[in-house]
Amino acid sequence: MADPWQSAYDFAVQVARAAGAVIRKAGEDEIKVQTKSCAVDLVTQTDERVEKIIIGSLKEQFGDGSHCFIGEESVSNGQPCNLTDKPTWIIDPVDGTTNFVHGFPFVAVSIAFAVNKELEFGVVYSCLEDKMYKARKGMGAFCDDEQIQVSDVKDINKSIIISEHGTDRSIEKVTKIFSTMQKILRIPVHGLRGSGTAATNMCLVASGASEAFFEIGIHCWDIAAGVVIVREAGGIILDVDGGPFDLMSRRMMSANNDIIAKRIIKEIEIFEVLRDDAPVPSK
Amino acid sequence: MSDPWQECMDYCVEVTKKAGQMIREALQEDIAVMQKSSPVDLVTETDQKVERLIIDSIKEKYPAHRFPFVSVSIGFTVKKEIEFGIVYSCIEDKMYTARKGKGAFCNGEPIKVSGQEDISQSLVLTEMNFHKDPGHFTTMLANVEKILTIPVHGIRSPGSAAVNMCLVACGSADAYYHMGIHCWDMAGGAALVTEAGGVIMDISGGPFDLMSRRLIVASSRAIARRVAKEITEFPVGRDDTDG
Repeated sequence: MADPWQSAYDFAVQVARAAGAVIRKAGEDEIKVQTKSCAVDLVTQTDERVEKIIIGSLKEQFGDGSHCFIGEESVSNGQPCNLTDKPTWIIDPVDGTTNFVHGFPFVAVSIAFAVNKELEFGVVYSCLEDKMYKARKGMGAFCDDEQIQVSDVKDINKSIIISEHGTDRSIEKVTKIFSTMQKILRIPVHGLRGSGTAATNMCLVASGASEAFFEIGIHCWDIAAGVVIVREAGGIILDVDGGPFDLMSRRMMSANNDIIAKRIIKEIEIFEVLRDDAPVPSK
Repeated sequence: MSDPWQECMDYCVEVTKKAGQMIREALQEDIAVMQKSSPVDLVTETDQKVERLIIDSIKEKYPAHRFPFVSVSIGFTVKKEIEFGIVYSCIEDKMYTARKGKGAFCNGEPIKVSGQEDISQSLVLTEMNFHKDPGHFTTMLANVEKILTIPVHGIRSPGSAAVNMCLVACGSADAYYHMGIHCWDMAGGAALVTEAGGVIMDISGGPFDLMSRRLIVASSRAIARRVAKEITEFPVGRDDTDG
């Protein structure tokens, strides 16, 4: 039976590549930076422009109105962020805006597609590296044309763990983030790393460069594509408390296997974050 | 797809041969000046030092994982001055080179630091390592937290000191600081940062000391000094005294 979403998947790869080219070109010019929720939560015209290009291309291709769109910049501008059973595109046009502003080597276009609230495929284009990560449910995960797999490390002492500081600088959250990092380093692990983009971090787990990446405070658009890629590469996705993963919860643990995931989960100090699908307070 | 580590090793051998040739050429120039000293000993010492740098760099960088920053780093000094630095970020296939007084390059293209002077607009690199001494470990993490909450735009940990220095040199980051690395981690990158227009200093804000096992490199003196202000030092020993 033909895959009903194959053409959507192929189209997503093309759109991600074209978006990545726009980002690379924009990076050659001077970048005007604005801020969103706080002084270190950055956004640029490129974020907004690329999201319009992606959504515009997808609407043109799948224009009968049956598809829904969740995009980071649209949500920032007041669009609701609810995942329904309808075919839904979940888009981060520029994951790693801070990196983009600085020219730090990891900037990604992330496009995921869900139907009946199940993630069907994910595409992450690491545009400065020119690496296309992609995965269709049940068909494996790839970086360009090569199949990728998570690492087979089971010994936590031999693991590299990825963790980020995020953009929330409130004392309570920063204290918990650092306390968690300290506990992980004490295990000890081989090392703690951070590329600065959740989508790229998940691809690093999927390709075996790291054994786990977790974060509290990310958004659904940062991770949706990466979730499919990690699972199809043989890894697992859980909530940071060890329970089942919830795409709208703003928390995620991705790992090569259960052993590593659960060992790291033991050390995570959880703090509260508002869900992506929480009702927007009325004025 | 070819094995990326084989390419790295092949290249290391080539680089070693080239460094040896450079040493012979440099010594031919110096012999006229230093005829009454012990030129044979000097040649021997220099060869061993450069070989040790290359071999130790390869040993230290041999990957257990495939995290994308792995480099070969070669620094060359004469009379304790850094004359040139080479850092090959082999997974990215980026060759960074700098000769004193002649600028810094990545794959033949000139590079320069970002010039950033405002710490609140900066991206800072550092590495978080486990330290056996609980006081040092706590201090190391507290330093990272202090810098993060200035606030800076972000802190990144790519995992390779030499690559971190190159990222500052080419403007992708605005500062890198570290306590506990070694001279072989820093020698190659030091030339790159200074030739790219950046600054290099000791963690205390004083002059850089290659054997001190600590440094700050930055896009500007303002950024470097601001970072130095936040850092609480802890002892890391020296490369030239510890056994």
